[in-house]
Amino acid sequence: MMDLPWPTLGALLAWGTVVGVDLVSVPQGMIARPFVAGAVAGAILGDPAAGVRIGIALELFALDVLPVGAVRYPEYGPATVAAVAVGVFAPWELALGLSVMLGLVLALFGGWSMQSVRRANARSVRTHSARLMAGDYATVRRIHFQGLARDLVRAVVVTAVGLALALAVRRVPLARPEAVGLTLVAVGAGCAAAFGGAWRGAGHGSRLRWLAAGMAAGLAWVLLG
Amino acid sequence: MRGALRSWVRLLALQASWNFERMQGIGMGHAAEPLLRDLQVMDPARHTEATVRSADFFNAHPYLAGLALGALARAELDGAPEEQIVRLRKALCGPLGAMGDQIFWAGLLPALMAAALVLAVLGAPWIGVAVFLGGFNLVRLAVSRWALARGLSSGLMVGAAIARSWLPRWMVLAAPVAAALVGAALPLTGAWLLEGFGPGGVAAALVIALAGTLLVRWIGSVLTPVRFALLAALLTVIWHRVAG
Repeated sequence: MMDLPWPTLGALLAWGTVVGVDLVSVPQGMIARPFVAGAVAGAILGDPAAGVRIGIALELFALDVLPVGAVRYPEYGPATVAAVAVGVFAPWELALGLSVMLGLVLALFGGWSMQSVRRANARSVRTHSARLMAGDYATVRRIHFQGLARDLVRAVVVTAVGLALALAVRRVPLARPEAVGLTLVAVGAGCAAAFGGAWRGAGHGSRLRWLAAGMAAGLAWVLLG
Repeated sequence: MRGALRSWVRLLALQASWNFERMQGIGMGHAAEPLLRDLQVMDPARHTEATVRSADFFNAHPYLAGLALGALARAELDGAPEEQIVRLRKALCGPLGAMGDQIFWAGLLPALMAAALVLAVLGAPWIGVAVFLGGFNLVRLAVSRWALARGLSSGLMVGAAIARSWLPRWMVLAAPVAAALVGAALPLTGAWLLEGFGPGGVAAALVIALAGTLLVRWIGSVLTPVRFALLAALLTVIWHRVAG
C-alpha cells in the first residue's frame, strides 16, 4: 500500500495543514496558492520540478477565483499537496493530467469543508449569543479560537484524505493515450479558467484593452522568442 | 496608542472565526480588545457596550479592516454616540470591501502571480516563489499596519481620510496592470506546459481551451471551469476506453 515513506507523508500532512489554515484563517500569507504549495510539496518529495509544474497547472484554475465576501470557491492548497504526491517521479506528460484532476476533485471537497466550518462557527455564535450580547469578551475569544481550531482540524482531514486518495490514484493503470489526453485536458481547461477569469474581471472598458495588449505581448514572445 | 501592535497581530487572524451570522464580526471583536482596554478602567459600562458592538456583524476586505477597527476604537474611546458608531461600522463594510478586492484580489495578487509564473517558465521557479510571497506580504503587512494607524488617528473622520489617501488611486491602477501581466503570462505558461507535445497536442489543448472559455462564459452558472475540466477528463477516459 505504502509507496511513500512515513516521514515524507508526515511532512506533507504538516505542509498541507499549514497551507489549509493559511487560506482564510491565519495568516493569509498566500502560501496556499497552488504554485507555492506545489513547489514546496515537490521539494518535500524530492522532485521540485514536478511540484512546480503541477502547481502551475492548478494555479491556472485558482486564478479564476475572486474570493470576495461570502462567495463559495474551491480550496486549492491541500489539494495541490496531494496532487503533487500523485505526479512525482513520473514522466510529466503522462502524470500531469491525472494529478490535476485529483487536485480539482479535492479542491471541491476542500471548498465544501470550508462551508461546513463556517456553518459550525455560525452555530457557535448562535449558541453563545446571550453572552455576546452581555459584552463578555471571554466568549468572543472562545468562539474565535474554536473557529481557528475547527479550521485546523478541517485542514488536517482534507490533507489526510487527499494523501490517501493520492496513494490510491498512483496505482491507477492508465494507457499512454489516456494519460496524455488527460494532460492536454488539464492544460487546456486550466488556460480556459485563467483566461475566463481575466476576461470576466476585465469587463468591457480599458482593462479589456490592457488584457488584450498583454496577451499580444505574451503571444509575440512565444512565437518569436 | 496602547494595544495597537497587539491588535494588528490579531488582525492577521481576523477571519479565523468567519461565519454566516456575523462574518468577520467575532474576529473584529477579538482584535479590538487590546484597543479598548483603557476604556475598561475609564468607563466599565461603556467598555461592556463597546465590546458588544465590536463583535457585531462586519465584513470588509481583511487587509483594510484595520481602518474600520482603528476608527471604531477611537470613536469608542472619544465617547462618540452609539448611533454614529453603529452607522460608521455599517457604512465602512462596502467601500473597504470593494477597494480591497480591487487592489488586492483583482490587482496585486494576479499581477505578482503572473510575474512569478513568467519567472518559473523562464527557469527560475524559486525566484518566482520568493518574488510572489515577498512582494505580496511586504505590501499586505505594510498596508494593514498603515490602515490600523490611519483608522486610529482619524476616528469618525475616517471616510475623509480614506478619500484623501492613496487607496482610490491604487484601486484604479491595480486591476489594469494585473490584466496586462496576466494576459502576458498566459500564453507563456500555456506554451511551457505544452512543451514537447507537437502541433497535434497543442491544437487539441487550444480546442479544449476555446471550448472551455466559451462554454463557461455561456453557462457559467452551471458549468464552472473546474466542472468543465472534470467533465472533459471523464469524456476523454470514456472515449479512449470505448475506442481502444
